[in-house]
Amino acid sequence: MDINFSKEDSAFRDEVRDWLSNDYPKHVKEKTDNGITITKEDLVDFHKALSKKGWMGYNWPVEYGGTGWSASKLYIFNKELGLAGCPPILPFGVGMVGPVIYTFGNEEQKERFLPDILNFNTWWCQGYSEPGSGSDLASLKTKAVLRNDLDEDYYVVNGSKTWTTLAQNADWIFCLVRTDNSGIKQEGISFLLIDMKSPGIEVKPIITIDGDHEVNSVFLTDVKVPAKNLIGEEGKGWTYAKFLLAHERFGIAGVGASMRQLNRLKDIISKLDNPDLKRKVNDLEVALSAIEITELRLLSALENGGHPGAESSILKIKGTEMQQALSELFVEASGEYALMYPGPKGYENNDKPAGPDYAAEGLSGFLNLRKTSIYGGSNEIQKNILSKFVLGV
Amino acid sequence: MNLNYNEEQTMLREQIQKFCEPEYDFYKREDIVKSSADYDENVWKLFAEQGWLSMPFSEQSGGLGFGPIELSILFEEFGKALVIEPYLSTVVLSGTLLDNSTYNDRKEIIERICNGDIQVSLAYAEAEKGYDYLSSNTTFHNNILNGTKTLVLNGANAEKLIVTCVKDNIFNIVILDSKTEGVSINSFSTVDGQSCAEISFENVKLDETSVISSGENAIDLIKQTINLATLCVSAEAVGCMESCYTKTLEYTKGREQFGQPISSFQVLQHRMVDMFIESELAKSLLIKAMLEVNNRSDDMYKHVSALKSYIGKSGKVSAKEAVQLHGGMGVSEEMMIGHYLKKMVSIDALFGNADYHLNSFS
Repeated sequence: MDINFSKEDSAFRDEVRDWLSNDYPKHVKEKTDNGITITKEDLVDFHKALSKKGWMGYNWPVEYGGTGWSASKLYIFNKELGLAGCPPILPFGVGMVGPVIYTFGNEEQKERFLPDILNFNTWWCQGYSEPGSGSDLASLKTKAVLRNDLDEDYYVVNGSKTWTTLAQNADWIFCLVRTDNSGIKQEGISFLLIDMKSPGIEVKPIITIDGDHEVNSVFLTDVKVPAKNLIGEEGKGWTYAKFLLAHERFGIAGVGASMRQLNRLKDIISKLDNPDLKRKVNDLEVALSAIEITELRLLSALENGGHPGAESSILKIKGTEMQQALSELFVEASGEYALMYPGPKGYENNDKPAGPDYAAEGLSGFLNLRKTSIYGGSNEIQKNILSKFVLGV
Repeated sequence: MNLNYNEEQTMLREQIQKFCEPEYDFYKREDIVKSSADYDENVWKLFAEQGWLSMPFSEQSGGLGFGPIELSILFEEFGKALVIEPYLSTVVLSGTLLDNSTYNDRKEIIERICNGDIQVSLAYAEAEKGYDYLSSNTTFHNNILNGTKTLVLNGANAEKLIVTCVKDNIFNIVILDSKTEGVSINSFSTVDGQSCAEISFENVKLDETSVISSGENAIDLIKQTINLATLCVSAEAVGCMESCYTKTLEYTKGREQFGQPISSFQVLQHRMVDMFIESELAKSLLIKAMLEVNNRSDDMYKHVSALKSYIGKSGKVSAKEAVQLHGGMGVSEEMMIGHYLKKMVSIDALFGNADYHLNSFS
């Protein structure tokens, strides 16, 4: 057994650190270091900087313009970006629809969409959940009917999608739509790419309990979508969706970002002379170490010929619980100043409130991060997956 | 990076499993617990034949030269079978302390340990000192030992006792025969089916050759030995946690109520998933801790503390869940499952409980 990374991987870690200190856009770093909410432009700058370095396709094979990194390089990349406080890489293009397109799409679709994803020229959003279809995603009702007019094949899409993250910024949406109602529900689903500028699409904000506008409802009324925007075969959308979910889960433990938060908390708590908080932060440090090594064990299995099984559900559950627990400890460390709340935009658009700097940011994080145990297959769904695949019940 | 056990280590684990399954089933264990002896001499001899009693000792001392990784494997499997033989006190606490010391007669004693001919106990704890094992009220002035040691594991069966004490304000470790005049031993049963003793030393006359180590060396020796023993019992707890989960799963699959196996109920499934997750996370911390101890890194105490605090808490939670999910059977003495809970209680109490290690961590 050897818990250390190879020389090659250590050199790669230094390269990532080097990029973070020299090429991670300074104006973004300034904000993330000071707990100020970043704008759409900041996010674009961050992603473009990654593209410039050739790291945007961090999880893609080389033949499609990706890095072709090993599992350990991917792990190091995720961890270092998290430790440095970078915003999470938006998963919708590069993490989700990209791999679906290069795996199941045709040549024309690959040429049309993949370069723009790698260069962050298009902002993608995800059209999965519906008001009536959350954990039971396969029950979705948004309907797509194939038509032909003047020799043009197109779908007419009607329905609504919800919890659509950053749809207000998006150029394109990838949607699961129902093309057939006759058989079992999973078999009537298709995977459709839709231009957000299409007539009949309306985006309405949903404000979450942290006061922020991150998610939206997307209404589709008689939206005309060219049939060439269908990925793969009609009725196979569920297979592609499951493939995508497997891709989404890697790195979901967010170990690097949580370590950054933990280190900040330790720093704060070391100045407070409060043994209860000290023990709580120690408790989280132990648990985070357990999560980190569990991820390394999975990685080690991958590198020795295994593949990620249902065990990655452990990382989803424990990683998100950790993010939530850390944010809650920020609130506790704020004491009475947990009352102060600057609104969703941080101090930038508001007077700086009384109390320590971390108080308001902590509360925003605490409220915002409730989502983590709900999205990506809720933690209860993860436990169902583990029941089935690990317990065999 | 490679966190997989190598072939030799996997074979060792299989060898221990193959032994524990037929030779050490729960009923056999119960017979030993209920007998007048504290452990089974024949089982101990079999341990010697398998080479397990020689595992952690250096080759110069006639041992196999195995390290914390192999010891952790052994204790994980002992935890699953709830082995009560005094491996911890004789081999880990006493044997490795001697092996790491410069004590003159160490090779001779270690040879007898390897052959299964002798039990030795380490008397490190005192009632007034709690988990502070690096100071002592037991005195060794003018070569005369006075004081009382508590919770001496397997103390009543030990032919030799290794005792921590103070001589002229300097920490010392001495060794003596348990039959020496002035030594009185009072033995108790422990919650996990083993035994421990309260041992008083009243004007026990020793000579200079009884000193194993003194001063900073003695302190280091105790710290390292206790740390290794803490790793071992934590590995034992990890084995218990895995068994709590696998045995509960097996039970709920076989137990029918309302016309179906109770494992079909989601509320029980999620609780078993939690037990599985906790067992995996504990295994991860075990891997980290045993590698740090193996590398003798500066952080080895910290990572053993992390592991011990984690298993102290989540181990007990898993064992309590196992009892609950077994229903009435869970509280029956005749079922094995409740004995894991007792083992978890005893492991948490040894060498610093969960809170203690959480506070000493970082």
